[in-house]
Amino acid sequence: MAQTTVASEYSSEVHAEPIEHRFNPYSDNGGTILGIAGEDFAVLAGDTRQSEGYSIQSRSMSKVFDVGDNILMSANGFAADGDALVKAFQNQLKWYHFNHNKELSIHSAARLTQQLLYGKRFFPYYVHTILAGVDEEGKGAVYSFDPVGSYEREQCRAGGAAASLIMPFLDNQVNFKNQMDPSSNGTKKKELRYLSLQEVVNLVKDAFSSATERHINVGDALQIVIVTKDGARTEYHSLKKD
Amino acid sequence: MAGLSFENYQRNQFLAAKGHGVPKATSTGTTIVGCKFKGGVVIAADTRATSGPIVADKNCEKLHRLSPKIWCAGAGTAADTEMVTALISSNLELHSMSTSRAPRVVTALTMLKQHLFKYQGHIGAYLIVAGVDPTGSHLFSVQAHGSTDIGFYQSLGSGSLAAMAVLESNWHEDLDKEGAMKLCSDAIQAGIWNDLGSGSNVDLCVMEVGKDAVLYRNHLTPNVREQKASSYKFARGTTAILKEDIFKLIDVEEETIHSEAMEVDA
Amino acid sequence: MFLTRSEYDRGVSTFSPEGRLFQVEYSMEAIKLGSTAIGIATSEGVVLGVEKRVTSSLLESDSVEKIMEIDRHIGCAMSGLTADARSMIDHARVSSVTHDLHYNESIGVESLTQSVCDLALRFGEGASGEKRLMSRPFGVALLIAGVDENGPQLYHAEPSGTFYRYDAKAIGSGSEGAQAELQNEYHSSLTLKEAELLVLKILKQVMEEKLDSTNAQLASVTKEEGFKIYADSKTAEIIQELKESEIDED
Repeated sequence: MAQTTVASEYSSEVHAEPIEHRFNPYSDNGGTILGIAGEDFAVLAGDTRQSEGYSIQSRSMSKVFDVGDNILMSANGFAADGDALVKAFQNQLKWYHFNHNKELSIHSAARLTQQLLYGKRFFPYYVHTILAGVDEEGKGAVYSFDPVGSYEREQCRAGGAAASLIMPFLDNQVNFKNQMDPSSNGTKKKELRYLSLQEVVNLVKDAFSSATERHINVGDALQIVIVTKDGARTEYHSLKKD
Repeated sequence: MAGLSFENYQRNQFLAAKGHGVPKATSTGTTIVGCKFKGGVVIAADTRATSGPIVADKNCEKLHRLSPKIWCAGAGTAADTEMVTALISSNLELHSMSTSRAPRVVTALTMLKQHLFKYQGHIGAYLIVAGVDPTGSHLFSVQAHGSTDIGFYQSLGSGSLAAMAVLESNWHEDLDKEGAMKLCSDAIQAGIWNDLGSGSNVDLCVMEVGKDAVLYRNHLTPNVREQKASSYKFARGTTAILKEDIFKLIDVEEETIHSEAMEVDA
Repeated sequence: MFLTRSEYDRGVSTFSPEGRLFQVEYSMEAIKLGSTAIGIATSEGVVLGVEKRVTSSLLESDSVEKIMEIDRHIGCAMSGLTADARSMIDHARVSSVTHDLHYNESIGVESLTQSVCDLALRFGEGASGEKRLMSRPFGVALLIAGVDENGPQLYHAEPSGTFYRYDAKAIGSGSEGAQAELQNEYHSSLTLKEAELLVLKILKQVMEEKLDSTNAQLASVTKEEGFKIYADSKTAEIIQELKESEIDED
């Protein structure tokens, strides 16, 4: 018979190493954001729950901003850094207007955001940033950034706590990944097309209500900001509060 | 072989030290409460089970039966609360049979605390034990390390502070059954709404002296999901066909038999 | 030469009681000694033309650089102490490239001009504690030509740090006569071709030497081609064209 080890043999195990206590400058405030580009519009949406650990700090904290010049911005992750980044951007935008006397285009805004993020390469803004707007050709544009400024223009992107839950859904429903043209009986890829504003808003609502079901840091309310060449407009929808 | 096996303990410690992640247990980062009233006791729980920030089960059962009239609510590691509860339930039944007496709440409590103390907190079960027995109605709580508490009202789990706030402000000595049920479900709701580790529905169990215990599974369901904005039914033919093989499992042979008019016995 | 005016003559950033900065005013005088430079903005693009003073037959005329590229879409012509223009153009190039890095777009012509003029005042300490970079004001003026989303533009930047936008502007020793001629000849429907001829025609009038492709240089900035300095052969062709048109008129 194999020798049995009983629990009490381990009760004398003590941790001899000293416990390290130190200030941690970052925290995770949860929340999720989502940007989708349409043919002549873009949407940037985010839930309004801000949390830390198992506690809710706010059920109604906006994190999608119309920063001016028809640019929407959201920096999700560590809320204080997100706020600081948006403020820094708005400040830079003011200076851009003073110095160059013109609107900042979405592709310039993207580059500016990269500069702001990379500027803190060794003490980064702890955020996933998404920019949405309309480009110089009038097409919807979404740019997404990692915490230190690597960026890419995309058709859609989810960021924050439930990004990993929402992104596969978007891949399938926006870019039709793993979907074949039904009339080809599973032999030809389903062709890409622009989604209408209504389709996009419906996707956003379902993405967030689903994320709310399965992620504890997502919920309370959904803020959807829609931007076209004529300006930005905000919609609010309620989410579950448990 | 009896009891838990520690065969892999040292191996796993070594692996963890080498940087291999330890598998994460489903924790019922929970709100559970219990409260006594004139002639009985009520316990209640939320129904959310989490694994980190992910909701693992939206409608799990955290109320466990130890014996017909002794129930317990569990918080902590889901597997531990379920197993320890089942084990003590078994032993309680055997004990009851050998003594020919209805099991007592203190007996259940003692068995639980001795078991948990033996395992020095490694069994992560935090329980509220309640029930009625020949000595009356009782309400206790047990911690994973084996310590126990007695009180007119109790709360445990990540939502215990939210729940206790409600219990502390609204509990009074001459609560009746309905009052106790309302107080417990209000306390659980405080956890559901304000604690991220708790959510979904309220389960409740009432144990009254001289009566059968009654379990109110999903006593309240304040978190029913609304209808989705779109349907996500895929049209037939959406799935890619990568390869198609048809196997003939049986040979069907057709044979037409031409026959004269059948001969029939006269 | 001058009578000693007063001690206000010496401190570069000290106002005289009459409210004048003598050193800055003198720096503008330095430009009037420089070779003539002309710029004309048309709807098709901007033309720059300069006189090169080839002071000796032994001087390699290619080494006289009075028109320089700042970026693909901006160029400039200079007059005065051309050595001073080096640091101005360096600064302008840095500004342009930095803007592209920061905003992923070409800098505006006015913004570029502004940044050059910011530098022009750095003979004193900056208002917010910036270091004093230079011992004296620049002795050079620039004609900055460029194209951006607002179309072709021409700016004149002075050592005083002020700048103005012009349809057509002449600087340098021959600037008085040249400016008067521009005033007469300029009209808003001028083509690039006509502007090239006009620049050379005026240079010819104000230059002491006889105009040829070694002592004059042309450049243009257009939306399509960006900044281009004309090859001597092309300048020679235009000079020839000018001669022929003058014969026709006679």
